[in-house]
Amino acid sequence: MMYLIRIALRNLLRRRSRTLVIGSILAIAVVFFLLIESVMVAMMDLSFKNAIDFETPHIEVSRQGLIDEEAKGNVVPLEETFSISNSTEETIAGLADYQAATPVLDFSADFIAGRYTFPVLVRSIEPDSFSQVFYHDQYVQTGAFLETGQSGVVIGERLAQFFDLDVGDYFTLRFRDRQGSFNTMEGEVRGILATPHPDMNLRTVFVAREAAASRLGLANDAANRWMVRLTQRGSAPEQSQELQASLSNSQLVARSYREAAEFLVAVEAWGYIETYFILALFLLVGAVGIVAAVILSALERVSEIGIMKAMGLRENEIVRVFVIEAGGIGLVGGLIGCILGALSVGLFVIYGFDMSFFLDIDAMSAFPLQGRLYGAWNTSSFFFILAVVVAIALLSSLLPAYTAAKKDPIEAIRRR
Amino acid sequence: MALLTLKDVSKIYKQGDIEVHALKGVNLDVAEGEFTTVFGPSGCGKTTMLNLIGALDRPTSGHLLFNDKDIGTMSKNEQALHRRRNIGFIFQSHNLIPVLTAFENVEFALQIAGDGKGSNSDRVQNILEQVGLGTMMHRRPNALSGGQMQRIAVARALVKEPKLVLADEPTANLDSETSKEVLEIMVRMNRELKTTFVFSTHDPMVMEYAKRVVEIRDGEIARDERKG
Repeated sequence: MMYLIRIALRNLLRRRSRTLVIGSILAIAVVFFLLIESVMVAMMDLSFKNAIDFETPHIEVSRQGLIDEEAKGNVVPLEETFSISNSTEETIAGLADYQAATPVLDFSADFIAGRYTFPVLVRSIEPDSFSQVFYHDQYVQTGAFLETGQSGVVIGERLAQFFDLDVGDYFTLRFRDRQGSFNTMEGEVRGILATPHPDMNLRTVFVAREAAASRLGLANDAANRWMVRLTQRGSAPEQSQELQASLSNSQLVARSYREAAEFLVAVEAWGYIETYFILALFLLVGAVGIVAAVILSALERVSEIGIMKAMGLRENEIVRVFVIEAGGIGLVGGLIGCILGALSVGLFVIYGFDMSFFLDIDAMSAFPLQGRLYGAWNTSSFFFILAVVVAIALLSSLLPAYTAAKKDPIEAIRRR
Repeated sequence: MALLTLKDVSKIYKQGDIEVHALKGVNLDVAEGEFTTVFGPSGCGKTTMLNLIGALDRPTSGHLLFNDKDIGTMSKNEQALHRRRNIGFIFQSHNLIPVLTAFENVEFALQIAGDGKGSNSDRVQNILEQVGLGTMMHRRPNALSGGQMQRIAVARALVKEPKLVLADEPTANLDSETSKEVLEIMVRMNRELKTTFVFSTHDPMVMEYAKRVVEIRDGEIARDERKG
């Protein structure tokens, strides 16, 4: 076996150019995969993080009717509000990784300032508990975040730019109350936010729940969501299920952030499908290259195959020589790809890239992301892609290697 | 006892609709330690006979016994194992593996045989010294002359101490001086190691070295003569 490996490796060196050309194709596939995977992981990780920190925390408790209406893209229905019982609150607080929870009363409204109107989601909050679940208060650009019992509104920077508003300027919110009659809320802009979540900066405004509930014709403790923050993200799906089991007798539904952010989950899945599809195309080209390399190698070494058979090597042993060679090409390509990939990912991790440079602002607004995106290291991807490339090289060489090994030794020896 | 026995061995090749009778009912016994030349003009069936004896091909009819075992009925794998243990080949074109050095080409043959008779390295060095290449053992074939390469081929065939060495026109590509040197090495090996040699040649000089000459004409043994 040692000699079979030696012959294979020396033949790889002997045909350096061929080895490098085919290895390069595989290396390109590896670099592509590692970079795209790093972008995907970083993008999805940051998207989920921003969604959790600014939109939907680890677990959200609401009524099924609200989820259904939202899925249809309708305005937030005020019929789906609820007042949470003490026992439910205790159940939520009893979750293993519980950190904090806050009630939220969302409703749809038109934001009016001057001559302009813009449709927004009004998020009515209890500022103290809200700031234990979400991080908006840490991203106040001007003014201040809401305080308990305070009137007024906190808006995002893009909405402020749209209306040319500043702290202290007046606004009007127009909405339908519980009875379906139009009602309004007026006041001053208290603060302007600049969060990493673009939707929060444009389409969401924050008011105190107490003031909003009375204008909506709802009880003061009415909410349509209970937002729960856990100490760790990983346990959210499991604890959401546990909570759901405890809530089975109520009309409430518990969802983890992954269920709530269906769009992101779908984008994540499609992103990976696309990545693997393009990777498969690259690897297919590499596999064709390897097949060609093994065929060429076998044609060049017919008499060598003949003498090895005459010396008593069996067909499967001759196959091994060619398979090892192909595996060597795969390993060379995979390693070069991993080195170049590590350099590329390293640069991406250090310098990142401006997402608006690659995608227009409307396309980006579908993601809870903005600004620069920095790459993520995923060491297991390096091992995975190296194993895939070597395995593809080995597999694609099998058929031509068997064909070569089946050559008639008498004919093979005669050939020069 | 005969090491090798051919009983009514025939070989027919089909070329399209035409049948070529390369060997026609050949009967031959080769005893252990014999130095035999199969002689005849091109196309008479010498190489076919050597290929059959070397288990590289199968007879169309008849029996080919090696130590009383019929090698014509062995499976491909059994034939491969038989070749690696019992037979050394020397071809007209040395057929060395170009990426291995002289030493490695010889050691490779020994490793394949895997007989475990002492240190491989010493045996390889010893045989290369015997064929006069002790100082060139770390050169690759492309840095050696035709005669030197054929000597390596001889060393490769002999290093595993096979029962039988088959040499198909081993001097055909060599000048007369180098041919002589190579033949003398083989005669010496036959004498010292008691290895059985079967040659094919149409070179009259080679026959001078043989102890037995088997002449083939049109696929049949025309003459079988032992010297001295």
